[in-house]
Amino acid sequence: MSTLLTYISVNDGKIKRSSLEVLSRCNQLAKEKGLTSAALVVDQNPGAVTDTLKKYGPSVIYTIENPIFKNHLNTPLLKALSAAVEKINPKLVAFASTEGSKDILGALAANRRASALADMSEFELTDNGVKGKRPVMASKIISAVEAEGECVMITVRSGSYDVVEQEGDTSVEPIDFSFSDDELRLTLKEIISSSSDRIDLSEAEVVIAAGRGVKDEEGRNLISELASVLNAGVGASRALTEAGDYDPSLQIGQTGKVVSPQLYIGIGISGAIQHVAGMANSKVIVAINKDPDAPIFDIADYGLVGDLYKVLPPFIEEIKKVKSEK
Amino acid sequence: MDEKFDCIIVGAGVAGLAAAMTLANNNMKFLLIEKGEFPGAKNVSGGVLWGNDLAKLVPNYWEEDAGWDRFINQRRLTFLDEQSSFSIDFKSSHFNEPPYTGVVVLRSKFDRWLADKVQEAIDKSDYAMDSFIAPNILVEEVLQEDGKVVGIRTGEDKFYADSVIIAEGVNNLLTRQVGLQDKYVPADHMLTGVKEIIRFDQDVLENRFQLNGKSGMSNEFVGFATNGVEGGGFLYTNKDTISLGLVLGLKDLREKEQKPHDILNEFKKHPAVADTIRGGEVVEYSAHIVSSGDKRVMPKQLYKAGLLVCGEAANLLMNAGKAIQGMDYAIRSGILAAETIVGAKEKEDFGELAMKAYQDTLDESYVMKDINNFQDAVHLLHDPVMTQKVPNLICDFGRNFFSIKNEPTPKSRDMLRGAIKRHASYWELIKLGAKGAKAL
Amino acid sequence: MKFYVCIKQVPDVNAPLQIKDGKLVQDADRNILNAYDASAVEEALVLTEAHGGEVEVVLAGPEKAKETLRKALAMGAHKGTHIVTSGDEPFDSFSFGKILAKFFSDKEYNFILCGKQSQDTDSGLTGSILAELLDKPYVTNAVGLKLEGETLTVKRQGDAGQEMIEVPSPGVVTCSNDMNDPRIPSLKGIMQSKRKPVETISVADIDAGVSADDVKTRVLSFEEKPEREPGKKYEGEPEEIAREVARLLDSAESVI
Ligand SMILES: Cc1cc2nc3c(=O)[nH]c(=O)nc-3n(C[C@H](O)[C@H](O)[C@H](O)COP(=O)(O)OP(=O)(O)OC[C@H]3O[C@@H](n4cnc5c(N)ncnc54)[C@H](O)[C@@H]3O)c2cc1C
Ligand SMILES: Cc1cc2nc3c(=O)[nH]c(=O)nc-3n(C[C@H](O)[C@H](O)[C@H](O)COP(=O)(O)OP(=O)(O)OC[C@H]3O[C@@H](n4cnc5c(N)ncnc54)[C@H](O)[C@@H]3O)c2cc1C
Ligand SMILES: Nc1ncnc2c1ncn2[C@@H]1O[C@H](COP(=O)(O)O)[C@@H](O)[C@H]1O
Repeated sequence: MSTLLTYISVNDGKIKRSSLEVLSRCNQLAKEKGLTSAALVVDQNPGAVTDTLKKYGPSVIYTIENPIFKNHLNTPLLKALSAAVEKINPKLVAFASTEGSKDILGALAANRRASALADMSEFELTDNGVKGKRPVMASKIISAVEAEGECVMITVRSGSYDVVEQEGDTSVEPIDFSFSDDELRLTLKEIISSSSDRIDLSEAEVVIAAGRGVKDEEGRNLISELASVLNAGVGASRALTEAGDYDPSLQIGQTGKVVSPQLYIGIGISGAIQHVAGMANSKVIVAINKDPDAPIFDIADYGLVGDLYKVLPPFIEEIKKVKSEK
Repeated sequence: MDEKFDCIIVGAGVAGLAAAMTLANNNMKFLLIEKGEFPGAKNVSGGVLWGNDLAKLVPNYWEEDAGWDRFINQRRLTFLDEQSSFSIDFKSSHFNEPPYTGVVVLRSKFDRWLADKVQEAIDKSDYAMDSFIAPNILVEEVLQEDGKVVGIRTGEDKFYADSVIIAEGVNNLLTRQVGLQDKYVPADHMLTGVKEIIRFDQDVLENRFQLNGKSGMSNEFVGFATNGVEGGGFLYTNKDTISLGLVLGLKDLREKEQKPHDILNEFKKHPAVADTIRGGEVVEYSAHIVSSGDKRVMPKQLYKAGLLVCGEAANLLMNAGKAIQGMDYAIRSGILAAETIVGAKEKEDFGELAMKAYQDTLDESYVMKDINNFQDAVHLLHDPVMTQKVPNLICDFGRNFFSIKNEPTPKSRDMLRGAIKRHASYWELIKLGAKGAKAL
Repeated sequence: MKFYVCIKQVPDVNAPLQIKDGKLVQDADRNILNAYDASAVEEALVLTEAHGGEVEVVLAGPEKAKETLRKALAMGAHKGTHIVTSGDEPFDSFSFGKILAKFFSDKEYNFILCGKQSQDTDSGLTGSILAELLDKPYVTNAVGLKLEGETLTVKRQGDAGQEMIEVPSPGVVTCSNDMNDPRIPSLKGIMQSKRKPVETISVADIDAGVSADDVKTRVLSFEEKPEREPGKKYEGEPEEIAREVARLLDSAESVI
C-alpha cells in the first residue's frame, strides 16, 4: 500500500507544531484513500519524541538516528532522506515549510527524480500526483498547481491545517544509516544566535511585530512589555532586522517567517506587501501607525491611528487590567 | 565612449521621449536621463493625449495593441450642482478612424512603451552603441561654462554635450537653476491633480459607457465636482478601468482648507458619478502638480546657449474647460526642440541665436497660438462664477425643464430667468458672457 | 575567482495585477531583475572588488529579458550569457535547474550564486536542484558571505539562528536579499553595459533534455485571495482608542 510520508521537524527535542499539522493532514488523506500515513524523524535522539508522536497516530514512525543531526546540515540530511525515500518508496513526502526543509527540497527531489512544490497552503492527492494551492506574487494571489510523478515532495505553510490527535497502532521502525565525517562537504563553524529560548514565532498564538516606527530603546521596551503581558512572540519588519535592532530570525514576511497567529499586532509598520505576505493569514490583525493612509490599515481589523509612543502605554495598561479581571 | 554627446535630454516623460525619438530618427548621439525607476513610473495624466502628433513619433501606432488604451469618439461636458447633472454629449463616428484625435493612455504603461520604441529607433541608428536611455538617475545640475550650457551633473559624475534639452516636467528645478525662471514661483498659479484608477470587468465597462471595441469616452465636469474649490473633474475610459480625477487650484485649496482626496471622495458620491463607478475597484491613487497654463508663470524664455526647455517644464499646458492639453503640447515642443538641435548640429552652432529658432517655431505652432489666444478663457475658467454659479444655474434650469408636473408648465425662457435669479445676477452673467465671447 | 550569478527576470509584484478567467493579467508589462538575484550580483561584485576575479551573469528567459541582463551588467558584472527561451514554455524550477546545470557542466568556476527564491513564485528550488545536478556542495538562504582563499564562509539564516558554514570551491550558494542593498546602476555603468560581452545561446542548443512535455509541475489557474472583511480605523485621543481596542480584543474577539 503506498505511503504518505511526513517529515517531522524536531528542534531541541521538541516536535514543531507545524509538522504535526502536516501529519494530521496526511493522516486524513490516508484514511480517505486507504493509504498508509507514516512519519519520519531524523535526529540525534529520535526516541525522545516517538511517544509524543504516537498520539497523532501515524501507522509507522521511521527513525534515523545519528549524532550528526544535532545541527542542521544539508549533506547528511539529504543522504538520510534519500535513503528513507528509497526504502519506503512513498507517494508523497510532506514537510512543514521551514528553513531546514526549504534547504533540501529541491536537491532531494532532483536526487530522487521526484517532483516538488514548495510552500503549499492546501494539498490533496490526485491519481498521478498532488494538486493544491500556494500563494504567489508576494502572497497577493493564490495559484492552483499540480505535480505529477510517482513521488511528489512538498512543503506546507504553517497554519494551513489543524493538528488532530488520533488513536491507532503505531510501529517504530529504525532505518539503518551511517555517516562519516569525510562525507561532509560543508563545515558548520558556528551557530551565532539561537532563538530556542524565545517563543517560536511561527507557532505563537499572539505575535507582535515592530517596524521602523519603533525608533529607540524606549520603543523596544514598550514592545517587550506588551509581549510579556500578552505572552506573545516578537517579530519585526525588515527595516528593523536590517538595522540590527532585532534578530534576523525574527523577520516576518516574504523573505522571513510566515506567521498565522490568533492575534497579530503590527506596530510602526507600513504594511509593504512583502511584509504582509508573512502575516496576512493572522486571525485578528491590529495595526498601530501614525499615518492614516498606511497600507497596513487596508488589512487591519483594528487600525489605531496614532503615535505608538502615546498609544502603547494605555494599551498595555488596559490589557493588564482586562487580564487581571479574569 | 567618453566623448561628448550631441544632446542630453533630462526627463523621459512625453516631452523627453518625443525629443529622443526625433533625435534617434535623425541619427544623433544622445543621452536620455530619467530619475524614475523606469520611464512613466511616477508620471500622472488624466490621460487623453489629444491631437495626432503621436503618429509622428510612432507611425500607425494604432495597429499595435499596446501602449495606448482607447481612442475617444464620444465627448461629454457635465455641469453639476449638489444633486443634479446637466451634460452636453457629442459622439461621432467621424472620430472612429485613424489617425485618431484623442487617445486615452495610462502613463506608466504608455511612457514605458514609448521608451521601448525610442530604444528601437536608437538600435537602428548609427549610434546604437552610443546613445542611451538611462533610468533611475537624477540630474542634479545643468553645467554651464562661459554662459553656455555644456552638460549635466549627476552625483559626482559629469557628462558633456553640445546641447541639453530640459524636459523635467512641471516641477522645473533645473529650469530655475539655469535662471530661465525665477527660483521661487508662487503656488497660486498652480493646480494639483488627483486621480484614481477604478477597475471593472471589461464587459461591464463597455456596456456602461456604450463603448465598442477600442472606442472610449471622455467626460469633463464643472461645478459641484470640486466642493467649491476652483477646478474641475474628469472621467476617461481606459481598457478595463476608468481614470477619475480632479484638478484643483492650490491657492483655493489652501484658503478653503480642503484636502484633494476628501473632495475626490465627495465627488465620487455625487449621483452622476456614483452611478457610473458602482461595482468598480480602486486599484491606484495618484496625485501630481499641474500648471494652470497661465502665461504669467511661464519661463521668461525657453532657450539659452546650448539649452532648450520643453513640455510642462516650460509650463506648456492648456486647460480652458473643454480638455486638459499637456501631453500633446509636450510632444510637439519635444519634437520642435529636437529638430532645432538637429539643425544646430548641421551648422555646428549651438549658440543662443541658433537656439532661439526653437522659440520661434514654437510661437508659430498651434501650441503657443492656442496658449496666447485662450489666455482669457484660462482666466475665465478660474472665475468662481464659472466654477459655481453657472453649473448651479444650468442644473436648476435642467431640473425645471425636464420635470413634468401636473400643473401648467412655464415657458422655458421663464424657467431660465428664474434659475438666473436664484443663482447669479444678470450683471454677473452679462460680464461673464462678454468675457466668454472674447475668450473663446 | 570566478563567480557565476544566475539571474532571472520576474514580473514586478508591485505592479497592479488581476485575474481574468483564471489567468494572471498584469496591467503593465513590468518586469524586473529578481530582487534576490540583485543581492547575489551585488555580493559577487563586492567580493571580486576586494579579492579580484570576474562576475558573469547567466539568464534563461525570453528575448525581452535581455534588459534584465543589461541591468546586471550595468551594476558591474563583467559579462553575461543569455539562454534564450520563447517565454511560452511552461518551465518550472526543475526545467531551469536542468538547463542551467547543462550550461555549467563544461564551465570552470569557483562559485555559482543564485537567488534564494523567485520573487513572483517564491519557489526557492532552482538553486539546490542545480547544486544536486552538478553534484556540488551548496548552502541556501545566505545572509552574508566572506571569502578566505578559495573558501567561502556563508552566514546562513536557519531555523534556530544563524549558521556559519564553510563551502569549498566549487560550490553553489543561494542568497537572501537581507545581505545587502544592491547598487543602482550609475550612468557610467549603464553606458559601459552596452559594450560588455553577452553570449546568446538558444535553449535548444543547450540540449538539456527539457521539453514542455516533461515539465512535472504546472500552474493550473490563479485565484483571488479570500477577501478580509474591512476593519475599522480608530482615530482620536490615543488614550481612548487604545483602551477601546484593548477591551474589544477581549470582549469581541477573545484573543487576549
Ligand atoms: C524581495 C523583497 C523581500 C522583502 N521581504 C521582506 C520581509 O520578509 N519582511 C519585511 O518586513 N519586509 C520585507 N521587504 C521590505 C519591505 O518592502 C519594506 O521595505 C519593509 O517591510 C518596511 O518596513 P517598515 O514597515 O517597518 O518600515 P516603513 O515602511 O518605513 O514604515 C514605517 C511606518 O512606521 C510609521 N511610524 C513612524 N513613526 C511612528 C510612530 N511614532 N508611531 C506610529 N507609527 C509610526 C510610519 O507612518 C510608517 O508607516 C522585502 C522587500 C523586497 C524587495
Ligand atoms: C491629474 C492630471 C490630469 C491630467 N490630464 C491630462 C490629460 O488628460 N491630457 C493631457 O494632455 N494632459 C494632462 N495632464 C497634463 C500632463 O500630464 C502633462 O502636461 C505632461 O505630463 C507633461 O509632460 P512632460 O514630458 O513635460 O512632463 P512629465 O510627464 O512630468 O515628465 C517629466 C519627466 O522628467 C523626469 N525628471 C524630472 N526632473 C528630473 C531630473 N532632475 N533628472 C531626471 N529626470 C527628471 C520626471 O521623473 C518625469 O518622468 C494632466 C496632469 C495631471 C496631473
Ligand atoms: N530562468 C532562470 N535563469 C537564471 N536563473 C534562474 C532562472 N530561474 C531560476 N533561476 C535562479 O534560481 C533562483 C530562483 O529559484 P526559484 O525560486 O526556484 O525560481 C533565482 O533567484 C535565480 O538565481
